[in-house]
Amino acid sequence: MSHLLEVANLQLSYGRRIVLRSATLTAQSGEFLALVGVNGAGKSTLLDIIAGFRKPAAGSVSIAGRDQKAWNIRELSQRVSHLPQAVHADLPYTAEQLVAMGRYPHTDRWFESDEDHTFIREAMERTHCWEYRRRNFGSLSGGERQRVLLAACLAQNASILLLDEPSTFLDIEQQLHCFSVLREEAKTGKLCIAVTHDLNLALTHCSRVLVLADGIVAHDLAASKAQENEQWLGLFSSRLRIGNTPAGTPWIWYQ
Amino acid sequence: MTTHENTTSAARRSLLLPIFVFVASALFLPWVGAGPIRVAKVLHRQSPDYEILVQLRLTRTLLALVAGGGLSLAGSLFQAMLRDALATPYTLGISAGASLGAVAVIAGGWQMVWGIPATWVGALAGAFGVLTLVLGGFSRRRQISAFSLLLTGIAINSVCASLIIILGGFAGMSRTFSIARWLIGSVDSTSFTSLGVLSAVVFVLAALVISQARSWNLLAVGDQWAASRGVRVPTLLKTGFAAGSVMVAGAIALTGPIGFVGLIVPHLVRSKITPDHRVLLPSVFLFGGALLAICDALGRIVLPPAEIPAGAVLALIGGPYLVWAIRQRRPSEEM
Repeated sequence: MSHLLEVANLQLSYGRRIVLRSATLTAQSGEFLALVGVNGAGKSTLLDIIAGFRKPAAGSVSIAGRDQKAWNIRELSQRVSHLPQAVHADLPYTAEQLVAMGRYPHTDRWFESDEDHTFIREAMERTHCWEYRRRNFGSLSGGERQRVLLAACLAQNASILLLDEPSTFLDIEQQLHCFSVLREEAKTGKLCIAVTHDLNLALTHCSRVLVLADGIVAHDLAASKAQENEQWLGLFSSRLRIGNTPAGTPWIWYQ
Repeated sequence: MTTHENTTSAARRSLLLPIFVFVASALFLPWVGAGPIRVAKVLHRQSPDYEILVQLRLTRTLLALVAGGGLSLAGSLFQAMLRDALATPYTLGISAGASLGAVAVIAGGWQMVWGIPATWVGALAGAFGVLTLVLGGFSRRRQISAFSLLLTGIAINSVCASLIIILGGFAGMSRTFSIARWLIGSVDSTSFTSLGVLSAVVFVLAALVISQARSWNLLAVGDQWAASRGVRVPTLLKTGFAAGSVMVAGAIALTGPIGFVGLIVPHLVRSKITPDHRVLLPSVFLFGGALLAICDALGRIVLPPAEIPAGAVLALIGGPYLVWAIRQRRPSEEM
């Protein structure tokens, strides 16, 4: 059986700097992957290539058993949604108008259908932004904006969600809620891949943790067994330690 | 009725006002002018009322409606492409190219070329020169972005402005005055043939641009945002640049550079009605045409028998109003 996502030997350089040397990974529907690594490790670049924004120098991406290049951009957008690290803060749209854009790949209608509005409302309620749907995006706080952008990705109802630091700007309660929502999405059969710097958030919510280092996926760990191999922690800092919470979940702290 | 039904029908309803204003302008403004026109004489096709209404004021009003609509639409298009509310039909260098072409023929003393006013030919040649230069450069490099378009526009504007100053210096007193008059921008009566050609071009391109409204909504957020929702960003940028440029070139050839309409109308529609391009673009086209036609009509009646160019009236009314509107806005309405 083919994987929902297969990434093989991706290579990409920015000038002389090699960002991806030979990045390879596979993932199935129902998984929630955390993509972690130090700054400049190539996490966002890898998501960009999977989303089709960048062309790699070499390597391939296969989505639902078909080469990414064989999908046209409309078909691809029905299957892959992408949460950018940031958008312009001074957008003139209301929160609801922005979320509604998530439905564009699914319809040619001039205005949204009843079904579209159901998706929009459900996505905004799940990310706790329905109550300020009429507010201008530019008037929202950073955390409120992030919830709107996440709702737009959910409303797109794609089978693969690529999320570049989805918990940025969120307070702790909302960070936990955001990752819980993504875990629920994965349970419904979606594949979620989230770039994050919060290792504990990744360990407590994701099924796998992919550590990107030196241009490759250096470690591919089941989150529940992350403490069995401490080597990967050294890629971040020598001060990090890992153990278990009383509930048995891996937990990282620094000395 | 559910919330979203309210939203959708409100969006549809909001198109009624610009349609009414556009149609009312077309019907009413030809009757406005320094001298009165008697309806009975017009109905019996008696001179001079019939000729004044049909050949002078009607063509002029229709030209203002079409040119103003095209320029306003191009302005809102460029604002979405560049994600810059201050972008105008001038920003990407097309107006500058058109102005340079027109100024060159005025400075050279040409009046008519192939039976067509030389300024039209010069403006079109200048605008298409810039269009070819920009799109040709991007197709060779196979790369186009809003940022690169903006930088290219700034460079073209600077070069054209310098060349216009140089040409003006060599032109002599009377031609320098003609150049200055043309650069203010005005609406004059024209032939129905010219009007028909311009209208056909502008309406076809406007329909194309408006049909892509959902894509412009996405692009106004960001390139990646648009791409991940099914938009071919480079193709859309090239289409928008070409369509906007041709509309601007056609309008400017007949009216001179009245770019301010392309700033003020999109800005006001965006803040007072909606930023959603599905409603914004048609509204901007209709209001922009009506505004230019109203300014032209005002220019005919405020200081008779002298006429104030529509571009000057627009700047005198629109400038202070825009400043007032910006001061009235709440921080949450910042674009």
